[in-house]
Order: sequence, then structure tokens, then C-alpha cells
Amino acid sequence: MLIRSRSLATAVAGVLALALTAGCAPGPLEQSDSPSGPVTVDFGSFKGKRMTYLYFTDGPDLDATKAAIGRFEQATGATVELQVVPYAELQRSLQARITGDTVPEVARVQDWHPYAGELLDFTDYFGKSYPDEFTDGAVSTTRDDAGHMYAVPSDQTINGPFVNVDAFAKAGVPVPTATTKWTWPEFVDAASKVAAANDMPSAISVDVSGNRLSTVLSQYGTTLIGADGQEGLDPAKAEQALSMVNDLLQQDKISKDFWLGAGTNYKGGNDAFLAQQAPVYLSGPWQVGAFAKSAPFKWAAVPNPCAAECGGFPGAKMMVAFSRSKEPTLGAAFVQWMNRTENQREIDQAAYWLPTRKDLVASGVQYPTHNEDMNTFISQIDETPAVGFKAISSPAFTGAALALIKEFGKVVAGQESVADCVANLEKEIDQIVKASK
Amino acid sequence: MTGRADAPRRSRFTRRKLVPYLFVLPNMVVFGLFTIWPAINGFNISFYDSANGRTFRPVGTDNYHRILGNDEFWTVARHTIVFVVGFVVASTVLATVLALLLNGQKRGRGALSAAYFLPVVVSPVVVGLIWNAALQRQTGLVNSVVSALGFGQPAWLIDPNLALISVILVGVWVHLGFYTMIMLSGLQSIDSSVNEAATIDGAGTWQKIRLITLPLLRPTTMVVITLATIAGFQAFDFIFTLTGGGPVGATTLIIQYIYENGFTPPIAYGLASAAAVILFLVIFAVTFLNYLVGRRTEAM
Amino acid sequence: MTARLEEPPRVVAPPTTRWASTSGKTPSVGAIARTTVLIVGAIIVVAPLVWAGLSSFKSQAELAAQPPTLYPHDFTFDNYTTGLAAFDFPRYLLNSTIVTVAATLLTLLINSMAAYALAKYNFRGRDLLFLITLSAIMIPLQVILLPIYQVVSSLGMTNSLLGLIIPPAATPTGVFLLRQYMLTLPDETIEAARIDGAGEFRIFWQVVLPLCRPALAVLAIFSVIWRWNDFLWPLIVAQDESVQTLPVAIARFAGQQAIPFSQILAVSVMSIIPVIIVFLILQRHIISGLVKGAVK
Repeated sequence: MLIRSRSLATAVAGVLALALTAGCAPGPLEQSDSPSGPVTVDFGSFKGKRMTYLYFTDGPDLDATKAAIGRFEQATGATVELQVVPYAELQRSLQARITGDTVPEVARVQDWHPYAGELLDFTDYFGKSYPDEFTDGAVSTTRDDAGHMYAVPSDQTINGPFVNVDAFAKAGVPVPTATTKWTWPEFVDAASKVAAANDMPSAISVDVSGNRLSTVLSQYGTTLIGADGQEGLDPAKAEQALSMVNDLLQQDKISKDFWLGAGTNYKGGNDAFLAQQAPVYLSGPWQVGAFAKSAPFKWAAVPNPCAAECGGFPGAKMMVAFSRSKEPTLGAAFVQWMNRTENQREIDQAAYWLPTRKDLVASGVQYPTHNEDMNTFISQIDETPAVGFKAISSPAFTGAALALIKEFGKVVAGQESVADCVANLEKEIDQIVKASK
Repeated sequence: MTGRADAPRRSRFTRRKLVPYLFVLPNMVVFGLFTIWPAINGFNISFYDSANGRTFRPVGTDNYHRILGNDEFWTVARHTIVFVVGFVVASTVLATVLALLLNGQKRGRGALSAAYFLPVVVSPVVVGLIWNAALQRQTGLVNSVVSALGFGQPAWLIDPNLALISVILVGVWVHLGFYTMIMLSGLQSIDSSVNEAATIDGAGTWQKIRLITLPLLRPTTMVVITLATIAGFQAFDFIFTLTGGGPVGATTLIIQYIYENGFTPPIAYGLASAAAVILFLVIFAVTFLNYLVGRRTEAM
Repeated sequence: MTARLEEPPRVVAPPTTRWASTSGKTPSVGAIARTTVLIVGAIIVVAPLVWAGLSSFKSQAELAAQPPTLYPHDFTFDNYTTGLAAFDFPRYLLNSTIVTVAATLLTLLINSMAAYALAKYNFRGRDLLFLITLSAIMIPLQVILLPIYQVVSSLGMTNSLLGLIIPPAATPTGVFLLRQYMLTLPDETIEAARIDGAGEFRIFWQVVLPLCRPALAVLAIFSVIWRWNDFLWPLIVAQDESVQTLPVAIARFAGQQAIPFSQILAVSVMSIIPVIIVFLILQRHIISGLVKGAVK
């Protein structure tokens, strides 16, 4: 290396000079949104126009979405480019496109808050009463406090357990029906018996996810974010819930290796359930399509176990349209079209999604198979405490759920007591809520 | 790395003033546009706060204060240092030993070298997937061997201390072949007459290695240490699919920390950039130190 | 790097008795021990790859079996057939090949030109350029991803193969490696060509590059490995399926929440097979290129 001290000095001076010239802002400064007025949408005006739909998929919904896009293209003469990204990379991909000014017209997301300021307000396009077409629970996740509607709920999820019916039969344990009310101890007891009778290593398989863990919190009567949008944990109830889950992990009724091995990644418990390593799987209806195709045994969706409360925990998937895209109006129109009654029904049927439209919820969606299982999930929505829907609509929820997984991991690893975990969580969530304002 | 300055300086072709600039131009345009300018931009962003990477709010040196006052950052820094030191030491020592062995081996050397080099060509993402399966406590390949040897079933990815060791071992597995070939190239440039003279003087194999080969190998060793240090600080992809930074953050290293701040909610893009600047300064300082040490040993 | 030109010409030593094992005599204990250690080590290194390859033929239930099976007891192609049915393998393979080949050629060209100037010319700013290049080896891509994307996007190169080929082409490692090698080339050869009246670029193309073949080969190998395995950057830039490379497509496939691990494993194994084949065909040149002191 031949670097003389003179050129070293030049280099240092150069870097300093660059630092000074770089003193100007790297991009536009933050500012409050300027309200935009109503826009008229003419579905006849899109002929020959192109737009991009950024999408993530759980698998079976992809073909249904493609079919719906085909119908939209035929109806309007526009072209829709469907781009699929892995869910884990959705955030990064969208963020890059926002910084690079190449945003897609429309994207499917799980939380619109990270893109606040970039999204168009659907009430500007389809009127102040447009949100009324959707169920209160679903629509609450798409609006801010001022009533802007920055996303359209495309499908609703609700957490709930699956059971391996064959394994239950072999153990002589009755499979609960759609109306069974069972408690956590009964639930664990049944799962343990079935696992023992079938030589399965764990009783319960579960996705490692803050949303799934929130289900248990909700059943014990508490939640990460309260109805007022503030940190909402009730320490006593949270300790009860987390202690219960921790005990299951320490007894290896839920695989401790699996839980700790996930790190901060989402990790699905579907492999263990499908490989018959556990007779019960806590997940949600998005698994139904894949199980219908590939499960080598008979299975069923059953009601959630109860503690202080019953029901599962909601999740939302929604479609957003970006205001700085090339064709914002086409984007808005596409989102509205995809969520019209007939189109949402067709996608719901093919993808095993739960409807978000009031009319579809009222009339019900007829699924090609496993209709009963889907109805079991739907029945769980009404059982779920309403505060859960409030919680997931908070801009702080995604961050809080990640904090929950991180902090609870320390308990599972034996580095922290449950009480300390809850106390730390309260502090962290409080900060996340403040930062999200 | 020596590269004596006199070689190019002796060839002074200054009359063709423009020519060298034309030669560097294409590379430097691409390099400037896609590396240097973005890096300067990133440096600049570290003085702003941004939740989306598009709009910014100036915050002065707040991001740096927040990082340096953050316990989590220091935990991550500690893990990163343990990883880098473990990785650099293990891969340098193993590469040296392996190169010495291979250098002595005549029959089948090509095939053996190829086997050791094979992991280098595997994509880091796949490396993580494969080792995640192989290191599972109850279903993994490693423990089926380990327990057959009577050592039970260690929780490679679950025990926080073991997990960091696992990550180091997998890192070594990936890079060992490359470093071994570099060491081997160093070994083969050692003048064989020196060794022969020592043999005539009655020196044993171990004496020759310790007193002749290793000192002569020092410049090459410095190259390997430098490369391994940089690779160690930048390790991320395979760790992310191997452990996801777990269990409970035991294998969350600095790049993942930057990634999580920059890309998972709550997004702190400016903070992530500040951490990146700190990382760059640390790598730079360590590399420079390596260079100084390397130069001193050469002068000896 | 010792300046090898200044070394005295080597005395060709008569074959010593050190390589007893190859000369027909009974191998020494040391040689046996060494060979054993090397072979056991090689098995340990290769075993996980072989095991993963075999495991991709196991059923989902067998993959989860405790204790694990060493090889598939009921051999199934299901993971491949279902995995590949959902996966346009030929297209991604083609994209990966185009990107890898084009980026490698570009890298070799511009890196060697820059390295030549840095090694063999004396010009203002040379040391500064070299220092900047060296420092850049230390910048991890992950942390400047968004600023790079901004540049690429303002040049209109997103969502195209060009955006995958050009931005990573100016590798600092390549410039460093080639420059170090070119420093060892004799100036006299270049001077002689100049006296013969050859133009500067012609000297570079016809005299210098052929002399650098071992170093170029090493850089080519690394460029192929880097570009083939690139993940982060293509993931952000290659947005349409039509321009996606294998690693991106695999990540997209594996990112579906309802895909079993057995299929992910099968697709991963398929993605590393092409590089492994190329490597095994070329390994003799790769290893000897590396060892011949190209990396110094």
C-alpha cells in the first residue's frame, strides 16, 4: 500500500469538504399533509394505461388475485403489472421505492402506518360514506384519527387453532365442535393427551409472532395497546398469560427450540403440524387453502380456548394506493374495484379469505371446501374483545408486537422473570407509542 | 501487503498526462455513482431523522448520542466483537494449518482443495438454511454424530453462548477454503532453498515451520487477517437465515442491528445510518491498525 | 508481497526425498496422519452440503423425524415437482446467467483498466483514488441500500437487468487485487512495446492483459460467485418477475407463509447446483489460479 501522508491529508480534507457540502438535506423536509379535495373517478378513462400492484402472498391467494386482475384489465382496458415480493421484504422494497420515487400505484400491506404521508385518501375518491361499506372492525385498521381512509381492507384474519382430527380419534379425545367453549387447561390437556397417544414430540405448534402471542394476552383480558391508543397492558393479566405460555414452553409442550430458534424472524409452525409433530396448531384461516391441498391427514379448525375472554386476535391485510405514483386515480380505482362485492367474494372463495364487506359478512361466503372450518373462524370474530381491533389499528402496534417477541424470548431463555418482562414491555411500548405520534 | 512504491514511480510516463485518467474513468464513474455518492448521502442522513427514507427532519448529532447511550447497541457491539475476534482467529489458524498440510500433500491435493473450497460458492442465504437444518437439536445432522460419540445433544442454536459459537463456526466453514488458498499461495512463494538449507542444518519439521515458514508467511497472514476482519464485521445474510439473530439477540450483530432500525417498525432510518457510519469508522480503524502492524513486521 | 522480480533466479533443486509417498517407497507415519486429517476434514466440510442434497428427497414427515435419517428412506421427487411447478426455473436461471456473465465481463474490463492506471502510471490523485477504493471495501451494502437505489432510480435503471449488472460492477476488491498483481509486472515489457510504437490502449489490451491472466481468472471466479449469489440488491431492483434472478425468486417462493420447508430446501439445492457444476469443471484452474499467487 503506497499511501503517503500527504495524500492521507488530502483524503481527510476531501472527506471533510464533502461532509460540509452534504450539509444540505438528503431529501424533502417533513411537513404536514396538505389536504386534497374530492377526485372524480371515471372507469372508462383507463384504456391503455398501466399500473403496478405490489403484492405478497401466502400461497393459494395468488391465483385468485391474478384472475381478478384479468377481469379488471378486461373491464377497463388498463394493464396491471403484478409484482410479488416475499412478505419479509415487503417493507424494505416499498421503502426503497419511496426513496427512489418509483412507487407502485397499489400495494398489499399489513399496516399502512409506515407509509403515512405517501398514501391517498379513499374518501377523496369514493365519498365520505365509502368506509361504511366495510365492517367496523376491518375499517378501523385503515383510518387515522381524523377520519382519513388510507387503505381498503381486503381481507380479515382471526387467529385460531387447527387440530389433527385423525390423531384426536386415535387418542380417543373428542374433537371440539364449532360451539365448544373450552378453557386453556382443557385445551392443553387434550393436546397433551393426543400428542402422547400419537408419539408426537410436542402438544401444540404455534407461529412465532407477536400477533399470535397477542391472542393469549387478549384471552386473558389484556392487550399491548389499549382502546385509547396508549400502552394498554394490565400487568397482572399479562403476567398470567405469559407465565402460562412460558410454562408450556418450559415443559416443551410447545417446542422451546422452535421458539428460541426463530430469532426476530417470523417463523411458521405449519411444518410441525403438517409433519404430525404436534396435534394442535395455533394459526389462522390463511392456512386453510394450503392445508386443503397438502395435509396428509384429516384436520379441522376449532374454537379458541378461553380464559377471562374467548375468541382469537384479529389481523388485517389491506390495499393502499400511493399518491405520488404515475397513475394515482387508476390505483384508487383498482383498489375499489377489487373490493367490490362480487370481486371480493370470488377472491375470498378461491383464497379462503374472510370477507371485510358488510354485505358479504351478512350474506356469508360459500367456500368450495372446508366451509365449516371457515365458519368456525368467522364465529371467532364476534367472540374477540373489541379492543383487539383498536389495538391493531394503532400505528404503534407492529413495533409493540416485535418488542413483545423480543422481551418474551428472554423469559423463555431463562434470562428474565415474567414480571420484569411485563415491566420492561410497558416501558418499551410507551416509548414506541410516543415515537409513533 | 507491501507493494513497494518505487515500482510505479520508477516508470514515469508523465508526458501522456490524460491517458491514466481515461483508464480509471469508467470504473470511477460507476464506483462514484453507485458507491461513493450513496455513502456520502448515507453519512449525511445520519444527521437527520426519517421514518420513511424520503422526508427528513434535521436532528444534529442526536442519532449518535442515542446510539452511544443505548444499552442494546453495546450488547450488539459486544457480540460483534466476540464474533469478529473468534472468526478471525479461528479462520486464520485453521487456514494456516490446512495450508501447511495441503502443501505437504502431493497425491489428491487438487481434489482435497476443491472440497475445502466448495462452501465458498454456496449462496449465504442457502448456507443459513442448510446449517439451520443441520444444527437442530433433535433432527440435525450434527447432533446425530455428536450424540453417537457420546456427547449428548447440545442446543447449538438455542443456548445463547453456543449459538454465537455456532455462528462463528458456520462463518469459518464458509470462508475457510478461500483463506486456505491464499495461505497456500503464500507458502508456495517461499523460496524452497531456505527450507532445504535448514534441513541440512538438522532442523526438524516443527522447528522449520516455527522458525522459518511462519515468519516468512507473515505478510500473507496479514492479508488473511485483514480480509477476515472485514468479512467478519459485514457478516449478516447467513446469520439471518441461520438464527435470525436469536436466541434472544445472542447472535444479533451490528449489520442486523442497522437493518432492523432501518427497515422494521418503528423505523429509525437516521439512527441506522449513524450506526453504519460508526461501523465504517471501526472497520477502517481496525484495517489501518492491521496495516501498521503488517508494515512493522515487514520492516523487521 | 515480496517484489518477486528482485528475487534471485531459483536454483533448480534435485528432487528431494521429502515426497517419499509419491516415489514408490512406503509412506511415512507423518504422511499417513496428514492424509487422514485432510480427508476427515474434507468430509466434515462437504457433509452438510451432501446431507442437504439428500434431504431434499425426503418427505416432509421424514425431514422432521427424530433422530434424523442420514439418507432418504422413502425417496420422493415431490418436493421438486411441486416446488418447480410453482416456479419458472428456466427464466430465473437465464436471468441469473445473463446478469452473472455480463456483470463479470464488465467488472473485468473496467477494474483492470483502473488497476492498470493505478499500478503503472504516475498521476495526480492516484494515491487518493486508491485510498478511496480501499476504504470502499469496508462499506457494507446493507447500510447504503436506499441511497444507491435513489441513484439507480434517477437513472431509470430500476426493474431492468442493467440495474443488476452495472451498479455492482466497479468492485473495489477487484481493483485492489489486479493492481497488486500488475505492480509485479516488469515495466521494461511495457517500455519495449512503447518504443515499438504501440498505442497506450493497445499496450494494455495486447501486452498487459495477457500477462494478468491468472489474476483476471481469480477475479472472474469471484465475480461469478458474487453475482450469482447476490440477493439483497437484486431483491430491491428486480421487481418484475421477468427480470428476477434465482436467489430473489427463491426468497419470494420461501416467503409464502404456507410453503413447507421441504420444498424450500429442494429449490435451494437446485439453485446451488449450477455453480457447483461450474466450479467442479473449473476447479483445477480456480485452485491453481488462486494458489499461483494471484491473490496477494
